[in-house]
Amino acid sequence: MKLSPFFKFIILLCFLISNSVIANVEEDLKKITSKLRCMTCQNQTIHSSDTDFALNIKKIIRNKLQKNESEEEIINFLTYRYGEYILFHPKINKQNLFLWIFPFMILAISLAFLITRIKKNT
Amino acid sequence: MNRIILSLPIVLVFIISFFLLIFLLQGKDPTKPPSALINEDIPIFNLTDLFDKNKSLSTKDLKNKIILINFFASWCAPCKVEHPLFFEIKKKYNNIFILGINMRDENEKAIEFLNKDGNPYNFVGVDKRGFVAIEFGVVGLPETFLINSSGKIIYKHLGPITKEIFKNEIEPLL
Repeated sequence: MKLSPFFKFIILLCFLISNSVIANVEEDLKKITSKLRCMTCQNQTIHSSDTDFALNIKKIIRNKLQKNESEEEIINFLTYRYGEYILFHPKINKQNLFLWIFPFMILAISLAFLITRIKKNT
Repeated sequence: MNRIILSLPIVLVFIISFFLLIFLLQGKDPTKPPSALINEDIPIFNLTDLFDKNKSLSTKDLKNKIILINFFASWCAPCKVEHPLFFEIKKKYNNIFILGINMRDENEKAIEFLNKDGNPYNFVGVDKRGFVAIEFGVVGLPETFLINSSGKIIYKHLGPITKEIFKNEIEPLL
């Protein structure tokens, strides 16, 4: 059976589109899983882990990405079930406010202290 | 005097860090990951019966029941360790609905395991792809949840349940 050039073009186009969609899903999968903690490993991301838990989470995320769910929706889905512990970077919210502010507080106190010391010495 | 003033910020940091550490570790076991779904509603699911493909069980069927959900698999060694305890629980508390969720397992092997070691469950659902387990925030096998009659998850245990754990942690909630 001989295909007309038009059909050949359509098939090629479909192939290229599906390939780019798969590549996008895999890229997003890598981006999201790099932000998530593997709960059964020692400080490893889900992206770099091959445990059953990590493989299962990757499968779920891939499914959700194929359904066009956003990164935020996926992260919220997992955080609701596993808590913020699954996130390598804790969210900035009321509960974590002190965690985010504390290092800057220490920095400010130290700087103020340093400046007063320098002033005193000069 | 100058030395005291100089070391003041460091002492301050140590004091704050010490109290923070106490606050963070209060009542928390560092070996157990936190359970996000405690006091939340039981997730929505629909499970096919391991023994009969035509039978199924969904969240709706579990209304007003006290449920003990146990995620297990025939390939999971710790699951076999805790398995006999479920017979004792079933005998002592016949008002509890014990739901076994067979996770990422082959049906034949799961049936073989339950035929050999006995089946303490009121229903055994199949979760071949582990998607229901994700809904429950399951990390590894075995994992057990206690649901109260209002449909809220009130307890979660990661790892095999022992007689001591059941007596000290689960029984007071029943």
